[in-house]
Amino acid sequence: MSADPADRPLLTVRGVHRRFGSGPTAVHALRDVSFDLAAGTMVALIGRSGSGKTTLLNVIGGLDRPDSGTVLVDGADVTALDEDGLSRLRREKVSYVFQTFGLIPVLSAAENVGAPLRLARLPAAERERRVELLLELVGLADHAQQRPGELSGGQQQRVAIARALAASPRLLIADEPTGQLDAETGLSVMALLRGVVESEGVTALVSTHDPTMLALADRVIQINDGRLDEREAS
Amino acid sequence: MRWRAGLWPVGRWWPLALHWPSVLGRARADAGSLLLAAAVVAVVTLLAGAVPPLLRATADEAVQDGVRRAGGDGDVLVEARMERDDGPNGGRVRAPRLAEDVDDFRDRATDELGPGLRAALRPPVATVISPTLKITDGSVLRTFQLAYLAKGDGADGGPQADGADDSDGGPHVTWIAGGPPRPAVPEADNHAEVPAMGKPRPVQVALSEADAEALKLRPGARIPLKDDAGNIKKVLVSGIFRPTDSTDSAWRSAPALLRPVSGADGVGSTRFAGLLSPGSLPDARLAFDQDALRRVVRFTPDPSRITWDSAQAIASKVVALKANSGSSGALDGSLKWETGLDGVLRNIRAQVGAASAQASVLLTGVLTVAVLVLLLAADLLVRRRAPALEAARQRGAALPTLAAELLLESTVVALSAAAAGLALSRAVVPGASWEWVLPVVLAAVVAGPAFGTLAAARATRDRRVPANRTARRWARHTVQLRRAALEAAVLIAAVAAFVALHQRGILPAALAPGGDVAGPGLGLGDGPLPASAPALGVVAGTLVVLRLLPAGLGLVLKRALRSRRPLAVFGTARAVATSARALPLLVLVTSAALASFALTLDATAGDGLAEGAWRTVGADARLDVVPAAAASTPALARRIAAAPGVREVVAAQVTDRARVVADSLVVGPRLVIVDASAFRRLLAATPLPDAPALARLGATGHGDVPALVRSDDGGLRSGMRLDLLRDGAPTIRLTAVGTAPAVGDAGDVVVVDAATLKAAGMPSVPNTVWAAGPGAARAVAASAVDADTVLREDVLRARRAAPLTSGLLTLAWVSAATLLALGLLGLALGAAASAPERWQTLTRLRTLGLRPRDARWIAAGELLPPVMVAAVVGPLLGVLLARLMLGSLALRLLTGQAADPALVLPWWRLGLVTVALLVAVAVVVPIESALRRRRRLSEVLRAGGG
Repeated sequence: MSADPADRPLLTVRGVHRRFGSGPTAVHALRDVSFDLAAGTMVALIGRSGSGKTTLLNVIGGLDRPDSGTVLVDGADVTALDEDGLSRLRREKVSYVFQTFGLIPVLSAAENVGAPLRLARLPAAERERRVELLLELVGLADHAQQRPGELSGGQQQRVAIARALAASPRLLIADEPTGQLDAETGLSVMALLRGVVESEGVTALVSTHDPTMLALADRVIQINDGRLDEREAS
Repeated sequence: MRWRAGLWPVGRWWPLALHWPSVLGRARADAGSLLLAAAVVAVVTLLAGAVPPLLRATADEAVQDGVRRAGGDGDVLVEARMERDDGPNGGRVRAPRLAEDVDDFRDRATDELGPGLRAALRPPVATVISPTLKITDGSVLRTFQLAYLAKGDGADGGPQADGADDSDGGPHVTWIAGGPPRPAVPEADNHAEVPAMGKPRPVQVALSEADAEALKLRPGARIPLKDDAGNIKKVLVSGIFRPTDSTDSAWRSAPALLRPVSGADGVGSTRFAGLLSPGSLPDARLAFDQDALRRVVRFTPDPSRITWDSAQAIASKVVALKANSGSSGALDGSLKWETGLDGVLRNIRAQVGAASAQASVLLTGVLTVAVLVLLLAADLLVRRRAPALEAARQRGAALPTLAAELLLESTVVALSAAAAGLALSRAVVPGASWEWVLPVVLAAVVAGPAFGTLAAARATRDRRVPANRTARRWARHTVQLRRAALEAAVLIAAVAAFVALHQRGILPAALAPGGDVAGPGLGLGDGPLPASAPALGVVAGTLVVLRLLPAGLGLVLKRALRSRRPLAVFGTARAVATSARALPLLVLVTSAALASFALTLDATAGDGLAEGAWRTVGADARLDVVPAAAASTPALARRIAAAPGVREVVAAQVTDRARVVADSLVVGPRLVIVDASAFRRLLAATPLPDAPALARLGATGHGDVPALVRSDDGGLRSGMRLDLLRDGAPTIRLTAVGTAPAVGDAGDVVVVDAATLKAAGMPSVPNTVWAAGPGAARAVAASAVDADTVLREDVLRARRAAPLTSGLLTLAWVSAATLLALGLLGLALGAAASAPERWQTLTRLRTLGLRPRDARWIAAGELLPPVMVAAVVGPLLGVLLARLMLGSLALRLLTGQAADPALVLPWWRLGLVTVALLVAVAVVVPIESALRRRRRLSEVLRAGGG
């Protein structure tokens, strides 16, 4: 008898190990990591540099494969998917926000936001409506036709968030989204993420160094030397 | 001086402390890239180092080949009047030692040659020849000359009995009947004075078997002869001989001694000659007026002893001899030199100069692209090394130290590769030249360190983007201004090179028509500017394309954004992002354009050779019938015409150096007496240009015979009235009524209709048969007559195999292949240089859901636009430049045409260039994709690039 999907956690991580290298010089980036995330929550992943945050996010998003363990996103076993399956997963359920924004420089903000929708082959009219909505959501409706080079760092990250939300993912993974922003802009970006979690019902897993961001998270997961040390958000 | 571990000694003599572990570590880490640059340097060095010595060796062969082909035109002739033989009593004194005087004259001429020229000439042949006499025994116009021949440096001239020492004297003969000519007076009267105006003096001569048979004379018979004034000459046949070696060069001075020669004076008469001996020569002197006998020494060049280098000195000496030659009107015994050798050498020098300049054009193209590829390779290397260089700077390495380390590395790599290339060149060809290698080595040495030092400086310099908008705009404008200045400089250089090439041509001034025959040797001609015109033109054209490309791609991107295909958008977006990078596109377009230029040059020259062969032969096949068989020429023509596969046949009398007076000057054109309408039909059956003016030859105007004329130097023009001179027959008046078609390679041509000329009193004796049609060569070859057969296919084959032509055509192919290879290498390097950014973007797109197999299409979409531009614009640019510049490259000097060959587009070869580039993208993308697929997405995102 299976559990009710409504009660099922959106993300389930069980016994994940990830090691780089071999022999005495091997680095154990993740050691028996297990946790669940409920849908519609914003979770902060914190830890020092090299603690395994990015590796964990990559394994969850299917950008890397664990040596052992399983990762279930919305019921789909990420570790068992082939490349096409992973592509479909990323197109439909998981999206990313990176520290370096990752926008395409020659495309306008609107075209960058519409990129995932193009890959999903959404009709042009529907795509444009969705892009307009998302830019409105991130407060950049007036900058739709500007190119990334014409936007500030904070604005670029907002475009990246809008792009990440474009395909209505269930899980949004953000790896140090404020790493290249000043404190004030970083806080506004985190506030935006908090807002979209609430407005879009998306689950956000955000890695950060900044303790001031923790106030916005529903839950904080700390990782040290590849092991989890979970605490509830204050 | 102090030493530190891993460092150079730091002291006064070496101010920079190099960090050896870094130097070695970098070299090890980027061994592949360094080896690639070394391979480019080595290959280009091999080519650039081998071409000049090959050209020099080819020049030697070309000089020898040219002198050999020139035949009699290259002979050096010297003439001097004989000493007067006036006697004390108003008569003339017989000079029994006249033959020795001839030998003295020959020796004096030989001494004047000087050692350099003498070494290049075969032993001389002295000739004493009488005026032309008329044989009075029939209605057919036949003439006769008396000739004395003396070979070598010996004393005795005249005919030598077979078995005698042949180092001296005349050519060897075997006596068939009678014996050698003897003095006409007893020995006691050897020095007797004879009356100046007495009865005819007897002279003995020997006749060749062929002459005697034609004249039906036996020993003891008298030859019925009169001079122009009607004075009877008493010439007796002493004997009949057969030449031991009819190819002996001595006979060339008087070929009528061997057999009757038709058309020697250009008007159809047949010439005979009688051979004098040392004993009969004094009698011959007395038989004619005081200065009637011509005393000439002929030196024939020995091609095997003439090289390109010695040709300069030989030409100078010949020019000097001619300049110091005595006047033809002088009555003393001064030497009068006459030769076409300087002209022959000038033509060969012009050909070699043209080939050298054309080779320099091709080489300049290869070197230009090689330098661009090396810059691209250095750019790629520095991109890979940027983090290491930045780290070194952050650790405190000084810029001069970094520059010195990079310079040391690049110098070792470039010089080793260049040395290997030169060594290989020396092993393959006789010698190696380093002058052409310098630009490539310099680029290989300097580019890496310059780019590396700039990258290191940029990475650590404390310059921030100005906050002030005006300052930002000013900084942006400064960059744009720099680029514009550089582009303007290239454009100005290209225009200057183009103008220089058009105004002066590719030939060095000294080798141009009218230039000094003893001018400069092999080289770049009048400097590198004209030779670099195509390369600079291509670079300038590419810069224009570079300016247009971003705008063009922007338009494509706009269209792609409206399309339903997502991959097109992302591929084009990447292409737009990388379109501002100049070097990859420069390499691609210049290599494709210059390869197309080389292929077009090859095709044009190849077609020109074919056209030149048509012009030289005049049809598919030509028969030059020997005089003895000339009477059978019409029957022969009919036989050939009846053979299968023969479309048109024309028989004509062709006489070189006919004597024609035009504007009071005697010229020696090729006289062609032919059935004009048949000749026109023949031309129509060949690719040779039609000559509608031939239709005018049938009609007479002003009572003169109409003629068509052609002249290289304008000496014969339409509308002129000409006098055709004949020995012993009235002059024929001609009127030039139009331009003659080219007949062979003669510069001056006069064409007359055979029937019209016959009506004017001059029947022709055809000695040439032209045949056109697929079966012509076979029919002519099977004609079995005493004739020289000249087949167009043979001429074409020989010309293609001629040293200069084959060398240039081979170089054109090798250049095209090298350029294409460099272009493909440039494509790979450009792809490698942009790969990190491309795959970073693709990885980002993968996180948005892009499938792996679609990533490959986007990569292809990024690489394809510049390659498409190169594949289309490159060949077009190459063809355009060929159209603009081939006319100045003097290809006619190699193809044997009257004018420069028309441009020929080698469509399938140009298509090959386009296809090769497109196929290369189809190969590079999967390889790159396979290499990148090994890396996890997380690695790419973490590393932030490659």
